[in-house]
Amino acid sequence: MSLTTLENYFLPGSGGEVVQLLQEYGERAMILAGGSFVHGLAARNLLPGVDVFIDIQKLGLADIVAGSGGLEIGAMARLADLASVSEIREDAAWGALSDALRCPPVQIMNTATVGGNIAAACPYFDLPTAFLAIGASVRTEGSSGSREIDLEDFFTGLFENSLAQEEFLTGVALSRPEPGSASAFVKLETNANDLAIVNAAVHMTVDESGACQAARVALGGGVNEIPLRSAAAEKLLTGQVITDELPAKVGQAVQADISPMADHRASAEYRSAMASVLTERALRSAIARMTGGN
Amino acid sequence: MTSSTTSTTVLGKSVQRPDALDKVTGGKHYPVNVTLPGMLHAKLLRSPYPHARITGIDASAAAKLPGVKAVLLPQDVPQRKYCPVYFVPTLAPSMVQDMLIMSDTVRYAGQPVAAVAATTAAIAEQALELIEVDYEELPAVFDADAAMAEGAPQIHEGAENNIAVNPVVAFGDAEAAFEKADHIFEGVYETQRVHTCYMEPRVCVVDSDTGGNLTVHSSMQHLFGLREKLAFVLGMPESKVRVIKPAYIGGGFGGKLDIGYIEPVAALLSLKTGRPVRIEQTRYEDFISTTRNPIRVYLKTGISKDGRFVARYAESTLDCGAHATHGAEVINVHGMFGILLTYPCPDQHWEGKTVYTNNMIGGGYRGYGSPQGAFAVESQIDEICEELGFDPVEFRLKNSYHQGDPHPFNPQAKLDSYRFQDCLTQAAERIGWSSRKAAGSDQGVKKRGIGLGCQPIWVSGCVGFPDIYEHSGAIVKLNRDGTADLSTAAVDLGSGQITTLCMIAAEELGLEADQVRMTYADTDTVPFDAPSHASRVTYSSGNAVKAAAGQARQRLLEVAGGLLEASPDDLEVCEGMVRVKGSPDSQISVVDVVTRAESPFVVMTEEGPQPTNLEEKGTIIGLSSMAPPANPSPATVEFVEVEVDTETGQVKILRVVFAHDLGKLIHPAGAEGQVEGGFQQGMGYALMENLLFDPDSGACLSSDFLDYKMPTAVEMPPKIESIFIESNEPTGPFGAKSLSEPCVTVPAPAIANAIYNAVGVRVRELPITPEKILAGLGKL
Amino acid sequence: MKQLISIEINGEVHELAVAPQDSLLHVLREELGLIGTKKGCDTGGCGCCTVQIDGRAVYSCMTYAMSVQGKPVVTIEGITENGQLDPLQQAFIDAGAVQCGYCTCGTIMAARELLATVPDPDESQIRHAIAGNLCRCTGYQKIVDAIKLAAANSA
Repeated sequence: MSLTTLENYFLPGSGGEVVQLLQEYGERAMILAGGSFVHGLAARNLLPGVDVFIDIQKLGLADIVAGSGGLEIGAMARLADLASVSEIREDAAWGALSDALRCPPVQIMNTATVGGNIAAACPYFDLPTAFLAIGASVRTEGSSGSREIDLEDFFTGLFENSLAQEEFLTGVALSRPEPGSASAFVKLETNANDLAIVNAAVHMTVDESGACQAARVALGGGVNEIPLRSAAAEKLLTGQVITDELPAKVGQAVQADISPMADHRASAEYRSAMASVLTERALRSAIARMTGGN
Repeated sequence: MTSSTTSTTVLGKSVQRPDALDKVTGGKHYPVNVTLPGMLHAKLLRSPYPHARITGIDASAAAKLPGVKAVLLPQDVPQRKYCPVYFVPTLAPSMVQDMLIMSDTVRYAGQPVAAVAATTAAIAEQALELIEVDYEELPAVFDADAAMAEGAPQIHEGAENNIAVNPVVAFGDAEAAFEKADHIFEGVYETQRVHTCYMEPRVCVVDSDTGGNLTVHSSMQHLFGLREKLAFVLGMPESKVRVIKPAYIGGGFGGKLDIGYIEPVAALLSLKTGRPVRIEQTRYEDFISTTRNPIRVYLKTGISKDGRFVARYAESTLDCGAHATHGAEVINVHGMFGILLTYPCPDQHWEGKTVYTNNMIGGGYRGYGSPQGAFAVESQIDEICEELGFDPVEFRLKNSYHQGDPHPFNPQAKLDSYRFQDCLTQAAERIGWSSRKAAGSDQGVKKRGIGLGCQPIWVSGCVGFPDIYEHSGAIVKLNRDGTADLSTAAVDLGSGQITTLCMIAAEELGLEADQVRMTYADTDTVPFDAPSHASRVTYSSGNAVKAAAGQARQRLLEVAGGLLEASPDDLEVCEGMVRVKGSPDSQISVVDVVTRAESPFVVMTEEGPQPTNLEEKGTIIGLSSMAPPANPSPATVEFVEVEVDTETGQVKILRVVFAHDLGKLIHPAGAEGQVEGGFQQGMGYALMENLLFDPDSGACLSSDFLDYKMPTAVEMPPKIESIFIESNEPTGPFGAKSLSEPCVTVPAPAIANAIYNAVGVRVRELPITPEKILAGLGKL
Repeated sequence: MKQLISIEINGEVHELAVAPQDSLLHVLREELGLIGTKKGCDTGGCGCCTVQIDGRAVYSCMTYAMSVQGKPVVTIEGITENGQLDPLQQAFIDAGAVQCGYCTCGTIMAARELLATVPDPDESQIRHAIAGNLCRCTGYQKIVDAIKLAAANSA
């Protein structure tokens, strides 16, 4: 259906009101954050049955607060807001986020929100992959109170997440990384205003001996219906001393965990090959960041 | 053979575009901004099926929706078959008349089957959802070969094997010549369906009066073509249709060269309601309205030991989609200018097939068949050179036409201003051709390579083709403030037609560029002009403008001569003054001459009433309506340096050097803009653009800019270097000839050849995606 | 169901009734006659509709009118002060960056945010700043030149 029959546009002032509206309208309601994704769906007639928008801009969820425990990012923080946070720009551990936030055009950076980017559960977005690599959890509010969901458990399918019907996303929490950490994100795109064909992000913590103490390897962009972590790549990387040969092997290892999609933008074979190449490149970039300190 | 250029005072300077100030402050005059009092908004209902028969339509619920003023169904529409192409007479025998505004047979997904006019666009859209259409689905075919195969669904009655046209052109005896060839090369080269991506959507507002006269505002590239086609499909006399010229349009590139569905539908809805009706297409509708036709070329070339063309054989299969439209002419231009005329070859045979499928219809697009040909010919030349060890620049130099040769298409004319060799050698030097490495020899993950592509022969309009309009006209009127108004039907698509034509008029009149203003025109008030297409406006319209300005200038000199008591032949115009040559004190301002010409016969002076001269009276005006004298060919060469990522297959363009002989360079910044923008389109064609459709349903998969990818500022190379080689085209206005289209034609083969030079992978199918390169490297 | 809202455009507050699905672009062009903002795709892909909200460049086609209450919007009509062109507007004219011009206003509005935050941008920053604005005429070269020129003239 098209949006010509949209019935109402709500601007509730509290989380309670949002929940109430979700209860009242059920599947007829759609939470609107920045609106860039919703607009994309609407323009493609992909919002069947939706005729009420719930714009959550008045809930005061736009803040990004840095504390000793980490970073609390409000769901309504724009991508541009996140990109300007000094901790993210300066800490090599969060390099993957900086990389991912360099990708979208300025209009999307200024419109799309962190919460919307996660809640959309779109495998082609960049931020989910970067968040998966650096480790993040999602904060929600719903009819049965608020809860925190590990991002890995949040994505359940193509454009599907684990939010309950009467629940919405209020923020994303990042833990402060271990010392000796670095991360990087790499994206394959056709032009600078594109969704990811494949993207990959690697986060690692290296101990004093130069061995990788902990690693998180994440991929998105159609390597699966959801952005995911590669357990095989992480296992291979963890405990290893970083050598020049290692990144290629880690890149190969992701093959065990992906099941790429084929569509008019890329074949499954190409996505599969690129998953390895991009993982390798993300790892090399993270290593360079670790040693170069940038 | 002289190459010296004409000395000019206005031409050759990058004057400020007269439309620039308006455009940076909001651009009031785009067709998309036209509104009229009482205007209705209409929307088209489009078929979801690619091939179907409509067995019933119920629009009663739609008609009852508040705000709906009229509904149009196939039974309300004149069933008059037509060819939508603007630049041919409606019933041109060379074209195929196979379209209807609305029909009970659907031949592609997205074909309009009904329309609604309402007080708002939102109501019209809502009403479309209330129209119930019963379709009887028919088997559909989306591939040209499958469409020609036995048992394929018949798309149009009478089109045997779904072939719309089947031209064959031969010179000499190709078969015999192949026997004598020392080497024979063959290959199949395929191009895809791409869109011109004009930024302003197709839009129109059509109003009607009680006498059944129509006034049409539209975003189209041709006033008179629109009038002619619209009158024809509606069965009206042409004089009842007045098409208003837009001050400018938001891009065209050939994509607005045929009557769409929107103008006739809006006209019928306006006649029905008596109100103005506006239709604006969505981007999805634009994507399925026009395209560069995909062509598959089988090309076989015979070469002598010393590296000369001795025989050429080619078969080109063009998928025109549901209707022939431009496909009946694109195939010919492709065969001639894309293949046969490119380089001299004594014995050649070419066969073209324009084939119906249930794909979207085609249209015009810069290059008009030549990009598809150049990709094949220029790619294969490099394959020949690689195999036989020839240098690709030397090979082309050896096989090219030369200045003074008979024009290969119009043998009665000569290639007077042709400078292909200079283009090739100067551009080769600029790119550093001599340091080019062997194919695939660059080291590392990212490998660099250099390649070139040429368009040796092209046009400055359409003279010489059968059945194609080419005349131009202009009116030039001098004002009492010393300025001039220029009026012509040539539409400015953005490429600077206003600037160029005003500069030509100014040069001829002896005025400054900003003293000539492009003013109002419609089909009632100005002479016929062919469309802004075929790289023709500078040359063809330019000649007409020069003629009209020359006539006005002559009249200015006659009147001034009377006042200065000098022969007009002894006068000149410069800096706003008419002067006696060699006697700078004997002069009169243009303002005084024009004022005098329009003043009363008796003028009051301090000495009382004084009679003046009757012969000096009358507005100083010039008018032309004429065919251009010839169709000179420019030559174009482009070199590109690329970097290929051998792990991802991604291609980065590092450098571009373009060379072109354009006769007289009129507006340098405008000419550079043609080259730079042309490269963006050609690069998109080479690497990423592709209008894709679902192979089962025929539904468009790339209906917006998220799925239809074109280069942004980030992918473009840091600099596109233009070399303009000036020469004097004796038949052109101040020596000028054409530029626009080759800018789009040469990038694809140049990029393909550069990719080969970088990584040793030859891709014969556009777009050259990273996947194809990786496959070529054996990595997929 | 239409709702009465108040929005601030170019410093002027407008009260108007909008439908829930109305985009800011629709309101600008169809309700307020601010036709300098263009519709090129209506799907957030071409950039012709770029305006600034709170000083930031956004696609007005993907911005719901309901969402901009209380946030100042600036359109191309709002950047000319007392008949004095914005430096970007002048630079686009001087650099020959205008052809068909349909993308021009949106691109200027995107570049405006760049120059406000990075007064002396390098080539890469310029190109990324307009990556959300498609142009089919110029190949972007003279647009990039114009933005450099505007930066230099504003320095």
